[in-house]
Amino acid sequence: MRLMMLALRNIRRAWRGGELGLLAFSLTLAVSIVTGIAGFSERLSRGMEQQSHHFLAADRVLKTARTVPDSWLLEAQQRGLKTATVASFRSMIYAGEQMQLASIRAVSDGYPLIGQLGVSDAAFGDAQLVEHGPSAGELWLDSRLLALLDLTTGGEAGVGEADFTVSRALISEPDRGNMNEMLAPRAMINLADLAATKVVQPGSLVRYRYLFAGSEAQLADYENWLTPLLEAGQRWEDVRDGQPAMATTLKRAEGYLLLAASLGVALAGAAIALAARRYGQRNSDNVAVMKTLGARRRQILHHYLAQLALLCAAAIVLGGLLGHGLQWALFASLQGLIDIDIPPPVWRPLLVGAITALLCTAVFALPPVWRLSKVAPLRVLRRDTEDSSEGMVASALIGVTGIGGLMWWYSGNIQLSAALLVASIALGLLATVLVLWLVSQARRLSAGRSRGALRLALAAIYRRRFANAFQVASFALALMTLTSLGLLRANLLVDWQMQLTEGAPNHFLINIQPTEIAPLEGFFQEHGLSNAGLYPMVRGRLTHIDQRAIKDIADIDAERGNVNREINLSWAAELPSDNRIEAGTWWTASDLVATERVPVSVEADLAKQLQLSLGSELSFNIGGQSLVAVVSSIRSLDWSSMRPNFYFIFPPDSLRDYAGSYITSFYLPAAEKPLLTDLLRAFPTMTLIEIDALIAQMNTVVGQVSAAIGLVLALVVVCALLVSVANVQASLDSRLQENAILRALGASRQLIANGLLLEFAAVGFLAGLLAALGSNIALYGVQRWVLDMAPVWHGSVFMVVPVLGAMTMAITGWLYCRVVISTPPLQVLARQ
Amino acid sequence: MIRVQNLCKTVTSGAQELAILRGINLEIKAGESAAIIGVSGAGKSTLLGLLAGLDNATSGDIYLHGQNISLMTEDQRAALRAQHVGFVFQSFQLLPGLTALENVMLPLELSGHASPETAARVFLEKVDLADRGHHYPRQLSGGEQQRVALARAFAVEPDILFADEPTGNLDEQTGQRIIELLFALNSETRTTLVLVTHEMALAQRCGRQFVMHDGVLTEAVSNAESADTGMKQSSPAQSGELPCA
Repeated sequence: MRLMMLALRNIRRAWRGGELGLLAFSLTLAVSIVTGIAGFSERLSRGMEQQSHHFLAADRVLKTARTVPDSWLLEAQQRGLKTATVASFRSMIYAGEQMQLASIRAVSDGYPLIGQLGVSDAAFGDAQLVEHGPSAGELWLDSRLLALLDLTTGGEAGVGEADFTVSRALISEPDRGNMNEMLAPRAMINLADLAATKVVQPGSLVRYRYLFAGSEAQLADYENWLTPLLEAGQRWEDVRDGQPAMATTLKRAEGYLLLAASLGVALAGAAIALAARRYGQRNSDNVAVMKTLGARRRQILHHYLAQLALLCAAAIVLGGLLGHGLQWALFASLQGLIDIDIPPPVWRPLLVGAITALLCTAVFALPPVWRLSKVAPLRVLRRDTEDSSEGMVASALIGVTGIGGLMWWYSGNIQLSAALLVASIALGLLATVLVLWLVSQARRLSAGRSRGALRLALAAIYRRRFANAFQVASFALALMTLTSLGLLRANLLVDWQMQLTEGAPNHFLINIQPTEIAPLEGFFQEHGLSNAGLYPMVRGRLTHIDQRAIKDIADIDAERGNVNREINLSWAAELPSDNRIEAGTWWTASDLVATERVPVSVEADLAKQLQLSLGSELSFNIGGQSLVAVVSSIRSLDWSSMRPNFYFIFPPDSLRDYAGSYITSFYLPAAEKPLLTDLLRAFPTMTLIEIDALIAQMNTVVGQVSAAIGLVLALVVVCALLVSVANVQASLDSRLQENAILRALGASRQLIANGLLLEFAAVGFLAGLLAALGSNIALYGVQRWVLDMAPVWHGSVFMVVPVLGAMTMAITGWLYCRVVISTPPLQVLARQ
Repeated sequence: MIRVQNLCKTVTSGAQELAILRGINLEIKAGESAAIIGVSGAGKSTLLGLLAGLDNATSGDIYLHGQNISLMTEDQRAALRAQHVGFVFQSFQLLPGLTALENVMLPLELSGHASPETAARVFLEKVDLADRGHHYPRQLSGGEQQRVALARAFAVEPDILFADEPTGNLDEQTGQRIIELLFALNSETRTTLVLVTHEMALAQRCGRQFVMHDGVLTEAVSNAESADTGMKQSSPAQSGELPCA
């Protein structure tokens, strides 16, 4: 208790002394930034993850072509999971004289487990959100079906042998993202009514989706139980399997936030190390006096350790609170941009903050305090008794290890942390060599020639050349971080925007009969709509590869390979404009005459999954007839281009004998949606797919991610400035002394001010140059290995960053060194 | 109280060895006051630092309060200082973060005094600064700071007080006041005083005077004791033998 009281009194006294303030400030800021970023990114990514679960309408989905035993669902329920069942099939819907093929979902009462359904009382109306699907006896039809069947809500319609009341227009479903199920307009009934329709007979094509929701532990537990029971064709999916585009976006966002946070931690650590070093230096005299007055080393250690412990505790509490405030501010500023429910704050970021504070204190603040306890009492009589470089190498090593460890622990990615750390050290060494070389050159060249402020600046840089090298290195690291993250952000956005270009096709039209092509093109022309071209389409099933039946090829995951179903086959004389040949050659007219075997061009990913190579023989079943073709080329294409894309393309005429239809895609602005009703009335047999809903979902995620990135970038700026400030403050004492002497000798304030500005600007400029180089190198690595993107070289940063660095450093230096100029020389000299 | 035998201090500067103290012998009894005078760089402060156990000698022995501090660890010497030694410096050496009162309390706290604040107030009273206790060093003039330092030195009621050029940073008038105060407190507490100075007038106030020259200490014999010789070397170096070689 007495020790505690003494420690409290000591900390109060030390606080008044001013040295503790800087350390406390850095430590608190580090904790708040770490807690803020950790909490923000964790909650954001959990939010996005939860949001993405909406796309599944569940946490996990079991996809199968047959019903599964009831015991599987019972088992899930016993393990605390919620379950729901969705059966999808295609059938005709009858309403009076009208009939229309629809993709029907029969859903159990629990559906959807996550997310909500949007319904309306009128076709194309505004959506109201409801928790569950139709009750028994009800039929929900999407707006197009209502239009096609000439129905309004309240009308009657039949599916198979059962009659239903059309109670709602179905506007949105959380899990509508699946293209395969969107090929026909959607209708929804209750699962309890499925049997009564009698449309599901043995051999009919029904797909089942069993939905599961619960805690990750329960899900993992159940997955372990279920996996051994799964048969071929049954597939357990989470959101990442179901939505590859979403998965990539989330993964990138996570990688980005992680990267930013790791660098934030490293910068905060550097700031703490600088502040602690200054704290140690400024306390050396005090320790010498205390020792002279009889304090033992143990007492000195107790004294300072108690200060550090209290400081650390205060930083954890205060930094934790500020970090929470930061999270709150971040989410508040995202309001309107983010369309997801942010999960409540969690404890983990606070723990991360607390451990960061403890580690930072131990790694960065403890070594100077340890050295402090070894200060010789003789220092009270002779100031030159300290060897200030003693233990510097050791504490530098401890610091680097500490920063590396923090980054590793923080990112959980040893490769990333090691790469960043090695890059930082390399940058530091490069900065040191560069600064020392430049300083010696400048001194040599300017000897006796330079005057006034320039000479002062050069002399100041030379005198502090090692400190300046460190300053250049750390500022370069901060600038490099900013530059890399800034460029990366621009990069990511450009990349995403390419996927979602304004005006990209947002509607697909299929089931276009050959006779309808001319009238349809007329319709498009009349309304000024452009389309992506009309492509023929024949539905067929791949049955054999090199005369082996698909179902007998054990190492093919038929479900994943997208081959265990009817696939759209097409034909074309020319390679579609956005496709690229990876292997083999595209056919010419003469090839087709010369060969007797039908060639086929296969999409690259599918070819890889099915282990196809040029010359592989493929057998297709098209409407009961068989077609054998040989792989003549392998194509890569962009599935997110929103244009009609095909796994298999045949030469023209080779599919002539098979009944087929055409497909196209086109862009329709949201304001012209009512035109769709005209289109469907004019061409009632065609099927319309609205992709814009899917694009809107993707856009939301891109918006969230880029807004988050902007904010994290702002936080890294704060960290970087903190390092600069700590750097400048570290040199304040010696500057005060030097400039007081200079002014006492008659140097004008203007001269000293110019000297200071020049010195800082030079440091900032050098740091900028290094940062431009470093960021390009770092970016290359990050793009190539972390984000899975094609690397891009940025020359423009060599122009911008050095100038920005010089300006920032000059302004920061000026703000913190004004005191050097404004303090009367006598006041400084009298202190000595 | 203080006994020094063959004390040598050598420092290495580059490849050169520099003898700062060359075989000092000295004995100062309890209650005596001794001045060490000499020009700058003669080794006065080095001797003072060694006597107070702030540094290690190259060879020789120092007995403080009957104990050989040459054989002690730094911590043991610190403990000895806490119990028996007070210090006054040329540059005051007050801790800038502590008030005048807290500065005086510091050594009392370190030596485990039962009521440091009360004792500190008593001594601030003695140096006429009772009403400035809550002021920080930077709010005090040089003379006031040195008075606080005196209060701090005497507050632990040390057996020995070391003073290193206590008036060196003060004008003459202020310096004079400090000296008066120092000797008043000294006679009141019967403390053994060892004072380093380059001012003869100040040295004359002490019972004994030693002259430090080029690392050798010589006692200036007081007129009463030895009017004929005037000087008496305390070092064995008088025979020409160099004990530190």
